[in-house]
Amino acid sequence: MQASTSVATELPATPRVAGKRRAAVAGGTAGLKRAHYRNSRLPFLLLLPQLLVLLLFFFIPAVRALVQAFVITDPFGTTVHFVWFDNFRALLASPEYRSSVWVTLWFTLTQNVLTLGVAAVLAFATDRVIRGRGLYRSIVLLPYAIAPVIAGILWAFMFNAHVGPMTYVLKALGVAWDPTRNGFDAFLLVTFAAAWKHICYDYIFLVAALLAVPASLLEAAAVDGAGPGLRFFKIALPMIGPTVFFLLVMNFVYGFFETFAIVDAVTKGGPGGATMILVYKVYLDGFVHIDLGSSAAQSVLLMIFAVILTMLQFRYVERNVNYDV
Amino acid sequence: MDKTKRAFVGGLLAAAMTAGIAAPSCAQQRTEIQFWHAMGGVLGERVDEVVKRYNDSQTRFTVVATNKGNYDEVINGTIAAYRAKKAPHVVQIYERGFMTMLLSDAIVPVQDLLTEKKKQIDWSDFIKPVASYYLYKGKLMSMPFNSSAPILWYNKEHFEKAGFKEPGPTWQELDKQLYAIKSKGIAECGSSLAGDFFWSLIENYSTVNDQPFGTKANGYDGLDTVFVYNKTKVVEQTKRLKKWIDDGIMQIAGQGLSPEQLYTSGKCSTFFASTAAHSSVERNATIKWSATYLPWEEGTTPRNSSIGGATLWVMKGQKAEDYDGVADFLAFVASPDLQLWWSKVTGYVPITNKAYEAAKKEGYYTANPTREIAILQLNRGTPTANSQGFHFGNYTQSTFALRQELEAVWANKKTPQEGLDDAVRRGNDILRQFEKLHAGKY
Repeated sequence: MQASTSVATELPATPRVAGKRRAAVAGGTAGLKRAHYRNSRLPFLLLLPQLLVLLLFFFIPAVRALVQAFVITDPFGTTVHFVWFDNFRALLASPEYRSSVWVTLWFTLTQNVLTLGVAAVLAFATDRVIRGRGLYRSIVLLPYAIAPVIAGILWAFMFNAHVGPMTYVLKALGVAWDPTRNGFDAFLLVTFAAAWKHICYDYIFLVAALLAVPASLLEAAAVDGAGPGLRFFKIALPMIGPTVFFLLVMNFVYGFFETFAIVDAVTKGGPGGATMILVYKVYLDGFVHIDLGSSAAQSVLLMIFAVILTMLQFRYVERNVNYDV
Repeated sequence: MDKTKRAFVGGLLAAAMTAGIAAPSCAQQRTEIQFWHAMGGVLGERVDEVVKRYNDSQTRFTVVATNKGNYDEVINGTIAAYRAKKAPHVVQIYERGFMTMLLSDAIVPVQDLLTEKKKQIDWSDFIKPVASYYLYKGKLMSMPFNSSAPILWYNKEHFEKAGFKEPGPTWQELDKQLYAIKSKGIAECGSSLAGDFFWSLIENYSTVNDQPFGTKANGYDGLDTVFVYNKTKVVEQTKRLKKWIDDGIMQIAGQGLSPEQLYTSGKCSTFFASTAAHSSVERNATIKWSATYLPWEEGTTPRNSSIGGATLWVMKGQKAEDYDGVADFLAFVASPDLQLWWSKVTGYVPITNKAYEAAKKEGYYTANPTREIAILQLNRGTPTANSQGFHFGNYTQSTFALRQELEAVWANKKTPQEGLDDAVRRGNDILRQFEKLHAGKY
């Protein structure tokens, strides 16, 4: 249980990294810090409240999760055996855990591509919507105001195999839709629900980034005969690279940790584990089955996965991102 | 933000004030007994009534009942509270949590407590499968509270239209009837798969047909038990269910729709579910409903079915004088009068034979024949090693594995045999882990 809170509170760390980097680049060698803070104690004092929060809600639970990962324990804590890496070994040997890793990877990847893709189209189209632009934006932003559980229930009901209105549409189109039995359908459903909920987040950032693209460049390209697609890919996209990269990382974090409520409401990880993403498994094994050792080991592994994935992205994707435009 | 903060502070103030008001009156004579339970909605109101009746019946103790969410949340909340040394006195835990509670070192065995406090309880009067589930070394570890058994609910009209008086007693006959009902176009589906089907259609199938679920008398004789249901008639049962699902005889409601709705709305002809569904079926059904016993395999003598539900556990570590109140309250819960009333308003079975006899004498079952089915089914024959109950460690976890593997079977990802084999393999890993943790304690 500590594990999941630690995982959640770790989130703000990621954008800060991106932000700091950007600030460092923008500030150049002038040294932002030295210029603004003469008194060397002040920055630490200002940081203190946040550090306290981190200590309480992240570091202490994280350390406890780490300790818990190496023991097996009675839920009540009356019997505890130290088992070294048994919990990890059991996890890695279990076909269910490995399948959960794959499900998570596919889920975050698909969700990421889908979210960014749709958000990019919507954001670029914002400029081209002339009448009712306010309404357009409001509609696009609406899902963000809906709680994930509600969103999940909404999707679960809309696509329910027996009474869902969308199921009737799909059946009329000749699609044999049954997310209660068919794992792939369930996977699609969860992915779409998760992406739908997150598109608006990406959209806000992309619209803001696109606003910073000088209109003159786009107009010049238009005069030269570039269509909207070409203008987007050749001019706008490179200029909003840093934002896209930031969103990429954020989407992964979202897919890894924040889609819990949607999975819980839409499929509960079923059928047959087809939508059992890692964070949901941590919850199930920890909260429902009270297998604290395994659950702690899973959250440690999950954290490692997230760190590796983020590092990989910084290493390979960020290389192609130009912050100086 | 500001508003919620203000509301929060207001709430604190209000709480502090009520605490301030309540404190002096408690301090005079009444001792508070904390009771956590998992009954929401109408059932929660019934629990509140039980507590009110008790509080009004005497002047020494005040039981405070708190709904802490569903069964999973209650056991988790209790664990967290116990670790923080803030556990309640009495807590309602589901039958699957038996081994976890028993070996937790955090409980006081109920029969010992009530004997020590000289409460007059006829321990041999409990309905057998109810008591046997919670027995350890011949003594009741927790106080049976809400017990149910799965029964077969059916739509009278569907069966009559198809020319049947009622569902046949065996699976073979029922199978033919459901196919007939569907092929004649009387109902869209024969049955709706309940969320707890692993209990009604797999576990209870094993007890009714006297099939072993695990070795060592289903775990009663040792922690070194292993699951064996992949080698029993459960395989045939799984194949049958799979065939029903493939043929559209059995429907899975899926998230966002309650399986019971498929039955009570008249879409599906039958529903295998707890007798405790009486209260909601009576309220919601738009159909002519009735119920009967769970079917059994052709050629076998049916045994008792197993129970589901929860019992009241007493937690260790409270003030010595509080246990007088705990014992008093539990004796009240087990009294025939209360049990009689409780079973009538909830649909759970009366847990003692005295309460059952009293209901019968009143003519309650003549007026409500379906209410008697569960208890007749529980009292059928003498429980065997296969039908007395299930004592498996971390049982929620292995049950989940079974459910997940069966979902894979429904999805055509595994054959029934493969699915059950995998469920048994995963279940046995869980049992070994439990054995390792509690070696020498059982």
